[in-house]
Amino acid sequence: MNSVIPIIPIAATSPIDIQSLVQPDRVHKRVYTDPAIFELEMDRVFGQAWLYVGHESQVPKPGDYFTTRLGREPVVMVRHTDGQVHVMFNRCPHKGAKLVPDGSGSAGKFLRCLYHGWTFKCDGSLLSVPLRSGYECTALDLKDPQYGVRKVARVATHRGFVFASLSEDGPELKEFLGGVATSLDNFCDRAPEGEVEVAGGVQRVIQRNNWKIFFENLHDTIHAVATHESSWRAAKEEHEAMPAGTPKPFEVVIVDGNGEPLEFWEKLELKGYDHGHGFMEGIFVPPTDPVSLAYVASLEAAKGAEQADAILRVNRHNTIVYPSCSPHTSFQQIRVIRPLSVDRTLVEIFSFRLKGAPEATFQRTLKYTNIVNSPSSNVMPDDLEAYNRVQEGLGSDGGDWVSMHRAAGRDQPLPGGRASNGNSEMPSRNMFAAWAGYMGVDTGAQTGSAE
Amino acid sequence: MNFRDWNEQQDLTQFLHHEARLLDEHRWDEWQKLFTPDGLYWVPLAHGQVDHLNHASLFCEDTLLRSMRARRLEQARAYSQQPPTRTVHVLGNIALEARDEVGCTVRSTFLLLEWRKTEQRTFGGSVLHTLRRADDGWRIQTKRIDLVNCDAPHEALQVFL
Repeated sequence: MNSVIPIIPIAATSPIDIQSLVQPDRVHKRVYTDPAIFELEMDRVFGQAWLYVGHESQVPKPGDYFTTRLGREPVVMVRHTDGQVHVMFNRCPHKGAKLVPDGSGSAGKFLRCLYHGWTFKCDGSLLSVPLRSGYECTALDLKDPQYGVRKVARVATHRGFVFASLSEDGPELKEFLGGVATSLDNFCDRAPEGEVEVAGGVQRVIQRNNWKIFFENLHDTIHAVATHESSWRAAKEEHEAMPAGTPKPFEVVIVDGNGEPLEFWEKLELKGYDHGHGFMEGIFVPPTDPVSLAYVASLEAAKGAEQADAILRVNRHNTIVYPSCSPHTSFQQIRVIRPLSVDRTLVEIFSFRLKGAPEATFQRTLKYTNIVNSPSSNVMPDDLEAYNRVQEGLGSDGGDWVSMHRAAGRDQPLPGGRASNGNSEMPSRNMFAAWAGYMGVDTGAQTGSAE
Repeated sequence: MNFRDWNEQQDLTQFLHHEARLLDEHRWDEWQKLFTPDGLYWVPLAHGQVDHLNHASLFCEDTLLRSMRARRLEQARAYSQQPPTRTVHVLGNIALEARDEVGCTVRSTFLLLEWRKTEQRTFGGSVLHTLRRADDGWRIQTKRIDLVNCDAPHEALQVFL
């Protein structure tokens, strides 16, 4: 007979001993399933780390704004009349209404609250309030900065990529990025004019899983051949059905690569850096189709053959900038990861145009975005299914620990980080070492670097 | 522009109903054969989107990509199709937009119920079929679907809408 007394999960009632949940090579399932731990992450991980906000090109003119979330916080990136980009809480200091509607647009010369018409300069400072005389001889001093829009604690940019931290303390952005700053540099260096701009719309995907599951997957090479069998087989069959000798179309190359055997991935190098970041050496051989060749020619014309070659030799697959985004340098996209709840994650995919490159280069970027990462991608549904089954499985009593043992203890030290072979779970251990640091504990994982 | 007569209205209405039924019954091969060799299946990402090359789309599929999707859906290890997606289309407001010597353009609206695993989703919007006349009936040059919520965050969109 079913009991009528509700069973309260222990996780919901007991104090959280984070230290007991993380070990050098495994983590307790609660880090993925406990809503109380999610709230702590919002405070400690997302409340401290530098988080990707957006790119300066999303607010090209004074008054342009773009809204997003940093952890739990709704924020708005605005370009001030002096050209400076500010990031502030999207909240009117008067009654608390969100100042601008979610999305992007132009606020004009100033930000005006819809509720009572308080207006602010685009740097957030208070410009005017209706019935100013009503505040005379009251405790509310309109000159007090607290009646301006509150800014996030710190804002910094790297090559036009805007980051913010909700904490006054912590490393500078450059120090935080460490070894993955080179991915952002290469992202821009690939443009003949050395600059990129966001274009072509934003794809948004909802995942039914904890945000960390997605991050771990970004450098999980050995899932590809198993999870993606349906799409890599479909792509291979498509090519086999073409007349013999037909070169593999781009659409096939970017999908059937997941069918490479484990030995292929083993040879790739994974790099992990302090603060949880890292990148994977490129899995795609630089393509030689006419679009790619025209692009290379445009880069060579701008920078000279030698420099162009050096730029293109930096051939990386996903980069992880923990815990907020994943740039793809060779296909010019950034996936922004926004945790919504312990088991819901929003991924926003921004495509970038390489300034000075032929138009067809950007069209190829969009093709990659459409085929591999859009909600209708043929590749991603099997990822989403796997993440969701992991999330549901972790909610069961069928086990307590999640393994990260593969190739543990074999990392090679690097300046500011560590390297491993392509099939190692070093990236997951590296991310959890950073996670534990933010959460105030220590996994005891091998994190020694060669600095 | 109006339908010329009842026969023309019936002819085009039946074609659209047939196309929707092929999708609901997962008859992907027959559905693909409805397209011209250079036919486009397009679901814009933005409201009022005019360009499928320089702006991202929810679906932007030529013959190759439609075929790849159909092949994937039928793979034994398409884990995200365990169980498979079920759909039903309901069409309405079928109207003739344009007609010329090679074909015509038909606008319709649709509601789509989609079920998989634990949840029913509802999609709706308008469809613009650009059709070409062939010896044995109509071929689709472009099927453009404007979802009411095209720019919303979505979970996986696996089957053709």
